[in-house]
Amino acid sequence: MSENIERRRFLKGIGAASLILGPMGCTSVKDDNEDANKPHYVMVFDQNKCVGCGECKEACNVANNLPDGKSRMLMEHQSGGVEGQACPHCGKEECNCERKFVRVSCQQCKNAPCVSVCPTGAAHKDPKTGIVTMDASKCAGCKYCIGACPYNARFINEETDVADNCDFCLNSKLSKGELPACVQQCKYDALIFGDANDPTSYVNKLLAVKDSVRMKPQFGTEPSLRYIPVVKLGV
Amino acid sequence: MGLSEGVAWPWPIAVYLFLAGISGGSLVVALAIRFFKGQTETTPLYKAASLISFVTIALGMLCLVLDLTNPLFFWRILVFYNFTSVMSVGVIALCVYIPLTAVLCLYAFEDEIKSIPALSFLLPIINMLKPVRKPCEVTALILAASVCAYTGFLISALIRFPLINTAVLPALFIASGVSAGAAASKMLSVFLFKEDMHSSELKILHGAEWPIMIAEILFICMIAMSLATGNAGAQSAFEAFTAGVWANLFWIGVVGVGFLGPILLNFATGKTFSHSAKAFYLSGFCAISGMMCLRLFILYAGQTYAI
Ligand code: SF4
Ligand code: SF4
Repeated sequence: MSENIERRRFLKGIGAASLILGPMGCTSVKDDNEDANKPHYVMVFDQNKCVGCGECKEACNVANNLPDGKSRMLMEHQSGGVEGQACPHCGKEECNCERKFVRVSCQQCKNAPCVSVCPTGAAHKDPKTGIVTMDASKCAGCKYCIGACPYNARFINEETDVADNCDFCLNSKLSKGELPACVQQCKYDALIFGDANDPTSYVNKLLAVKDSVRMKPQFGTEPSLRYIPVVKLGV
Repeated sequence: MGLSEGVAWPWPIAVYLFLAGISGGSLVVALAIRFFKGQTETTPLYKAASLISFVTIALGMLCLVLDLTNPLFFWRILVFYNFTSVMSVGVIALCVYIPLTAVLCLYAFEDEIKSIPALSFLLPIINMLKPVRKPCEVTALILAASVCAYTGFLISALIRFPLINTAVLPALFIASGVSAGAAASKMLSVFLFKEDMHSSELKILHGAEWPIMIAEILFICMIAMSLATGNAGAQSAFEAFTAGVWANLFWIGVVGVGFLGPILLNFATGKTFSHSAKAFYLSGFCAISGMMCLRLFILYAGQTYAI
């Protein structure tokens, strides 16, 4: 039984696991041979800088006119301790000693399962930016995309009854030349956004020098979200 | 942790998968026997199957529409298409299949319609459709099998769930659809249309039941084995068979009622009982309930164990 719990924990934390294993060479970010004239918007989440204040969530809610308390992204709090065992730092079984957070949101897959399963084309790639977004007027509310997304990153907006996902604030901010609301809001520079196909962009330079990983690479979805994980040094 | 909680597709979808399976399955059985035996008359089995296929698929559509976040959005699926989506391709198939089941009903109930004056407006339509009966039936047979398979392809495209995301699922759904469809139409043909319980057609059906059941068991074993011997994600999904409420549903509902039920009723009882009407109906109901449990199990247990 304990083996099963362990396995489930491992699977649940598979995102975290890839964060830790990534820099050791398991999931290097490979260069894609894509059309370099088109933008490829990426977002980098730096786990070393995020303090878990959650202001990005509130900014998302306001920017995208979402129902109260809802946002297109979540912060997952990951404790470094092992369930059922005392924390090595404080000795308690449940604690918040290690403040490690992971952004949970649409990974902006290049091969997006939500787009290929959507029967109406409501979930689609914006032709100009390549960003996976919604045409709310076409969505039938069948929830196929919600089951198909490997990251559980989609939800039904209770006010409009249609599916929704993080589209880097495509219509609410990017179209006005602004950065996504969460990126603007973050005081700790934990979120970096830009065009990876632009050689002069900050995000491009950052990715060139920093190790970063993608979530669940085994699905072949090629996400555009990159994570810079906390790496434990020493024992 | 994710943005949506609970299962994306709850029980109405399982009921829809069940009804679509019965609809397709009963037509496959009746039409296959019709072509196999070269029948030209309308048999009680044909009547029962065409009625069942029309009614169940119509109810299935109702389930599907009611499960949309807003049922009034239904027209959007009919107006916008995306050919990479299994659902969209299925909608096209259903748009042909549903009217066809209605047409088969017209063929089947021509005499009944003639005797009801209120329905006489249908007679010219029937006469108009008569010359194309054969092509209609062939198309219906192909589409009926496709509809069964489609319900499998529909959910096997959900890559996050190892139990669902398997290649054999469509085959399993065809097999279980055919067995439940056969059970439903043979019961209705005896009950409503006065078919003899021991007629030659029902004998054929009865003989085909067991090979189909073996195929179903084989497909389920394939899925279970591939999970048990798969990677960590697959192995955790194998728990669906061994622990929790869905395992109970599987062992009691699918295996106990659906498989052991008919087997015991037919082989473990005396000859007089196993040939009685009671055993006939009981084993039919067992087959149908087993299939419903299978759809529920696959959908719920499948969506419970995500990678
Ligand atoms: S993370 Fe999910 S919602 Fe976002 S593009 Fe990928 S499949 Fe679609
Ligand atoms: S819920 Fe809407 S966006 Fe999602 S697959 Fe269905 S129609 Fe497409």
